[in-house]
Amino acid sequence: MKEISELNFPDDLRYTEDHEWAKQEGKQIRIGISDYAQDQLGDIVFVELPQVGDTFAKGAEFGTIESVKAVSEVYMPLGGQIVAINEALEDAPELVNNEPYAKGWMIVVNPSDINEFDALLARDAYLEMLKG
Amino acid sequence: MEKLLKTVLCDRHQSHGAQMMEFGGWYMPLQYSGGILDEHLATRNSAGLFDVSHMGRFVIGGRDALPFLQYLLTNNAQALDIEKSQYTLIPNENGGAVDDAYLYRFKDGEYLLVVNASNREKDWHHLQSHKGRFDDVQMTDKTKELAMLSLQGPLSKDILSSIITAGTLPDPARNALSTVQINGSEIQLARTGYTGEPICFELFIRRKDAGMIWDLLTEKGARPVGLGARDTLRLEAGLPLYGHELGYDPEEKEIPIFASRASRFAVSFSPLKGSFIGRHALAEQFKALKKIMDQDYSLIDHLPRLIMPVAIVAKGVARAGFKVFHQDRHVGYVTSGTMVPFWQSRGTGVSFRLTKEKSLRGICLALLDSNLVKGDELQIEIRNKRTRAVIVPYHMSSKTPPFAKAILWNRL
Repeated sequence: MKEISELNFPDDLRYTEDHEWAKQEGKQIRIGISDYAQDQLGDIVFVELPQVGDTFAKGAEFGTIESVKAVSEVYMPLGGQIVAINEALEDAPELVNNEPYAKGWMIVVNPSDINEFDALLARDAYLEMLKG
Repeated sequence: MEKLLKTVLCDRHQSHGAQMMEFGGWYMPLQYSGGILDEHLATRNSAGLFDVSHMGRFVIGGRDALPFLQYLLTNNAQALDIEKSQYTLIPNENGGAVDDAYLYRFKDGEYLLVVNASNREKDWHHLQSHKGRFDDVQMTDKTKELAMLSLQGPLSKDILSSIITAGTLPDPARNALSTVQINGSEIQLARTGYTGEPICFELFIRRKDAGMIWDLLTEKGARPVGLGARDTLRLEAGLPLYGHELGYDPEEKEIPIFASRASRFAVSFSPLKGSFIGRHALAEQFKALKKIMDQDYSLIDHLPRLIMPVAIVAKGVARAGFKVFHQDRHVGYVTSGTMVPFWQSRGTGVSFRLTKEKSLRGICLALLDSNLVKGDELQIEIRNKRTRAVIVPYHMSSKTPPFAKAILWNRL
């Protein structure tokens, strides 16, 4: 595993305590897991995503990420309806390891309450939390 | 927490960027910086180097060493010539496993028994508790004095040959042993391993020489491999792991020794061996197994479930403890499972080769009702959903040396 200083946390994203990231794109929010999360998980071998159209509350489990050794749940940083999922992860789950903020994105959500986005951690607050 | 034991190579693991973990009371590398998948693939197409010094190593000598081993182990130790080794089990009276083990005979007069790290103390006490039946048995725990490395994969022979300064490799047959010199240090070599690789070695090295040998092997291109890939490699090879395929099942029922396929060549009823712990129960299991092989299930109560290789046909990752169904009937449990990487291959026979193309596949070992057979379709329950799977004869073949070949369920 890497030192936190070797990991990348873009400052145009918001983060959760469960290590998801969220990015505002117009009225929609793109969601994935942070560089810290992918590094902790190790080699990712399978990603299970919801269906487009499904609706989840903030904090609800929307999918699972499986590494060689273990399975982890991923949670909604904010409530809303799924408008897109990253189908490329089905054949290339390693994209989450290699490009967690780009080709390794997981879902796009139509948020039910944009205030929930504003309440997420900014980069520095997330880093602060990681350093404990 | 109890202080973790460290092997003599611990500093080297950390300098190779290892992510360390607790395993069987030891502080061991789970993986190095390249990750489990890379390490698995490197073992299959070049050579992987494993520090397995955490495993228990007992030297057993004395006039009664042989009758002692015959009584406490399942295999026929008398059939073991000098410079040969054998897979064996430490049985209990019920025909279950206290542990599985490997018995090496490097020289006359003493045997080396290698056991699982997590069972070392239990095994030691078990063996000690029966020593009193014999007049002259000496047991020494050499786990800390001797280091143990495993070098596995198609390039392992070339790498090892290039560093030997005197002596020769063991005969090119599985389980053969030899003793060689490397830069003045005496090293014991075995053609054994836990990866299914057709070309494989294990090395027993005095503690003070282990770092030097590790460095020589890595300089020649052997790739450090952690316990993560050690587990995926053995799973792909269909080899049992105590606590999963041996020991107790998820219902806390003891798994009969003959449920594990590797046991079939490791239990001897030879008259030379005479009586031994668990012989009666094991003979019953063996009788049942022979009938089950002929699809006669009249003795199935002695061996109700067998460990079988299962391939995932649809999506999902099967993990140890998941329930398995056949035609909606609960027929057993996954004992070990994950997704493993493999190299795509081309050609057959002498023209067989691995390509540079890699993929992933979901495989597992499962403890299933003994009346199921290969080809039977199954469903595995993964977090309240069921995914399709099928019983396969094996996940991998070692019959294309120097390479092992991944066998896919849809290309059998």
